[in-house]
Amino acid sequence: MRNDALTGQLDSLILATIAQQPGHGYAIVQRLAQPGGGRFALAEGTVYPALHRLEREGLLHSSWSADSDRPRRVYSVTGNGRSVFQARRRDWKRFSGAVQAGLG
Amino acid sequence: MSWLQTLAAELSARGLPGRDRRRILLELQDHIECEPGCEERLGDPRELAASFADELATARTRRGALRAFAALALAAVVLAISQLAIGAAGGYRGYSTGISMWLFFPALIGMLIAPQVALVAGSLAALRAVRRRRVAGLPAAEIDLIGRRARLALLAGIATVAGLGLYLVNFSNRFPGWYMGLIGCLSVVSGATLVVAYRGMTDARSIVSRMPGSAGDVYDDLPLLGRRWLRRRPWRLGVIGVLTVGAIVTVFFAHAESSVQEGLERGIVEALAAALGFLLFGRTVGLIPSRAAQPALAAPARLAGDHDRALAEHILRDGYAAGQLTLDQLSARLSAVHAAATVGELREALRGLHD
Repeated sequence: MRNDALTGQLDSLILATIAQQPGHGYAIVQRLAQPGGGRFALAEGTVYPALHRLEREGLLHSSWSADSDRPRRVYSVTGNGRSVFQARRRDWKRFSGAVQAGLG
Repeated sequence: MSWLQTLAAELSARGLPGRDRRRILLELQDHIECEPGCEERLGDPRELAASFADELATARTRRGALRAFAALALAAVVLAISQLAIGAAGGYRGYSTGISMWLFFPALIGMLIAPQVALVAGSLAALRAVRRRRVAGLPAAEIDLIGRRARLALLAGIATVAGLGLYLVNFSNRFPGWYMGLIGCLSVVSGATLVVAYRGMTDARSIVSRMPGSAGDVYDDLPLLGRRWLRRRPWRLGVIGVLTVGAIVTVFFAHAESSVQEGLERGIVEALAAALGFLLFGRTVGLIPSRAAQPALAAPARLAGDHDRALAEHILRDGYAAGQLTLDQLSARLSAVHAAATVGELREALRGLHD
């Protein structure tokens, strides 16, 4: 799938991934790749600026984990992030349903 | 140089604060240690650093502009309290009864002129920050414009509080102790808040964004003003503003003082001050388009890259927004930009819009 098809959806995909289970950057990138079955040709590094942006917006929370032998930042979804994700998912279902109906 | 070293050097060159830089590097180092050899899939470290810098510069500048507005609002409240409480403190003192005219006139300028500059510049900075709150990465020129507006507003706010302080010092032998103490303390608190907000803006400025695109102008912030005849002749906006301010002040004081002559005198002084403000600060706050050249396209024979095409697209869209191109012309020129192989061909697509 072309990268530009992901534009605008990356934040929602990240929220969806972390809403299922909190995790660190590498784990999030790996889980992000799974739903697309490798179809998202995503530069993995682009996930990190998005994580920082979502945290600045108050949708994610992060802290250094003590469970690892090296410093590891673990992300989880905030209450506000969960609400925003639910709203985005509703919008996307409505939108994709309309497109699907149009394409036949 | 390793992938991480290149990223570290780029983050440093982009001016990211040490704390943010360390966090990014630790996260990416952890990523690479989870799967050695995955650097290629992480993408170009220069682009990654640029992405962090563009977004952080945007976020910090936007937040700084809103904090500046809050600090200015506090200064406005302090100024209002000083004027409302002056009745209880025995009323205004004659200008010649203070310690020195060298204190009185700077105080007057600080308390009368500086707040107006702060109001205009601070409101425009906050307005742009709110209007563009959903954009992750603003063009560097727009970040610069918001920063200029906020810094000018904060400096004017500091001048206001300093003016109030000078006023107190000048009449320290005339005002009661409670008034001196109350307004003095409020001024110090307000001044400190303004200085902290200004420092936040200068910190945000140290992060280097290079995202192409124009800054936009006051017509983007206030679409009601966005008439083509105004947009093409910025001085007309200045004349309208000056006449409007002069007329409002004339009518207000003619009514308040029951004297048309008094109203006219104050209106003319206010209009002259507004004209001076427009000339001095119009470019800084985006009332007059900036003289700063758009980023130049390089040598004509050089092969065009994505960055050149993105810049050319921005210039064309700005030209369309400013009424220089019709929709058909924009569409045709955008096609030419996408098909251009060299910088010379890009320049041809921008003829009449770009030096």
